[in-house]
Amino acid sequence: METMNTYNGTILVVDLDAQTCTTEELSTDLIEQGLGGAGINLLLYEQYKDRNPLVLGSGLLTATFAPAACCGVMTAKSPVTGQIAHVPFGWQTGVEMKLTGFDFVVILGTSPKPVRLWLHDGLSDINDAADIWGKDVWASVDKIREAYGDEMVQTLIIGPAGENKQSLAQVCENYWGSKDKAGLGAVFGAKNLKAVAMRGLGSLEVAEGFFQKCMELKNEIVGGSIKGKAGLYDIGAALGIDATALEKMKTMIHRNNAAYNCPYPYYTFLKYNEPPAAMDMKGHAEPGCLVSDIAGFAALAATGSDPARAFERCCRFGLEPLGTAAALKKQGAGDVAQIDKLAGTGTAEGIPVWPVCVDQQQAIMAITKALSFAVPPRAPFSQDGGAQTWVARQAVAYLLGIDPVIMLLAPELTEEKLAALVALAADWDDFSADTLKKIANAVITKST
Amino acid sequence: MALKVQPLQCTGCRICEFACNYHHDTTISPIGSSIMFYFEEKKNYYGLMVKRDKSLLLGRPEGEKVLLPGEQIEGAGASAKPILLRVACDLCKDEDNGPVCIQACPYGVLSVEGA
Repeated sequence: METMNTYNGTILVVDLDAQTCTTEELSTDLIEQGLGGAGINLLLYEQYKDRNPLVLGSGLLTATFAPAACCGVMTAKSPVTGQIAHVPFGWQTGVEMKLTGFDFVVILGTSPKPVRLWLHDGLSDINDAADIWGKDVWASVDKIREAYGDEMVQTLIIGPAGENKQSLAQVCENYWGSKDKAGLGAVFGAKNLKAVAMRGLGSLEVAEGFFQKCMELKNEIVGGSIKGKAGLYDIGAALGIDATALEKMKTMIHRNNAAYNCPYPYYTFLKYNEPPAAMDMKGHAEPGCLVSDIAGFAALAATGSDPARAFERCCRFGLEPLGTAAALKKQGAGDVAQIDKLAGTGTAEGIPVWPVCVDQQQAIMAITKALSFAVPPRAPFSQDGGAQTWVARQAVAYLLGIDPVIMLLAPELTEEKLAALVALAADWDDFSADTLKKIANAVITKST
Repeated sequence: MALKVQPLQCTGCRICEFACNYHHDTTISPIGSSIMFYFEEKKNYYGLMVKRDKSLLLGRPEGEKVLLPGEQIEGAGASAKPILLRVACDLCKDEDNGPVCIQACPYGVLSVEGA
């Protein structure tokens, strides 16, 4: 096996009790056992389980040319389920972490004071976070980028909800929401960890022929089920999301964005403080919000609140939107201002449930609650394979660092083709789809 | 011949940047590419810059603009400044299948003008 084409070879261990950072070698044995992402995270979680670990892990293919290889995975005990949860982090954050030089980051214990972790160029620092503790997510990201002098710094960050250890809290990706439906924002808060800030200018080697194989698979995906479709709107329409919410969204769509190397742009930027068609940078300083959670958006719309502004409040306060909508509904409040109060009182009542595909979500939850329902419970653009298939394919994505939404949208990303990419990238001749499926299945079994 | 950008088709996936770096030094990294993504994230203002031999192509959401030496970079923040230190686009003249950024982009943002 050749690991330099897929990993830097380094695990960072951050001891918040002692305020120290140390490194360990990412061994070939560990990669063979867990591959990456949730697989290795779980092994590291077990190794350090007496220290309340929060593990951030790169997938084996994260940051490579493999289509949609944009994600890392956070693993910790969820305050929502009381069980281990794996939460993918994407946008530009998953790639950024691997390019900092750290493949895995194990965060142990609790800091005696609020801190942020700063990862860059193979270096790690535990920095004081007194300047941003108590501030909302947007102000905090601005401050972090200003402090480190680079507007491309990527952050996994919490708002007041996380600081207050509310189970409705979400870890945010820069200014926006994330796939955290497991309350890991509260885990950050309990550790006095405001943010993990990352800037990665490192590099990975590339195996001979890997680029071309990835391009072939990308072309297959682009010409497949997603052809002619774009944005969150098309996903919502295919899933049967409430038409009123979708039409409201449609009036605000500015541009559809994609995470690193993703062939489908499901991050939709909504503008409501200036015309959506405005393309220059001279207008409103904060013209709108990036939305990637169609279920959350629709549920907020159903409370009677302005869904875009409500979504923005969730992002600012670090609240999970679907659970926030449920809490608002319970209070009978459609007022956006009520969201602010949930930062101090927001308790999640279990895993938030989609307004559509409810039966399939229940069937998946009967198998496992360890994966994120930021991903729709069924495939919107292709024939759905049922709950077992959803779990099996998602688990593969969580090992390799493939964006789990793209894994759902693109059936062309088969286990066989992904296993072939792993074999080529890692020069791992006897690696097969069966091995990939076996390790993915073990992650589900051990996490449930 | 030169690389052309259709900025509004760009989704900011950045694979062109990484593919370009791969062409220049055979690794995966964002730091050695001739093409560069810049981003004002809160405004969702983004585009691509291409370092050409004697000019810069600025692919902004408002449209393309070619900057000659000495002209100010407009519409791109501090994240775009390192482009000035980059190697110029050579249109991947030694690649069998043409520019790797064009091969890699899923959205048809890039093309060669004057081909």
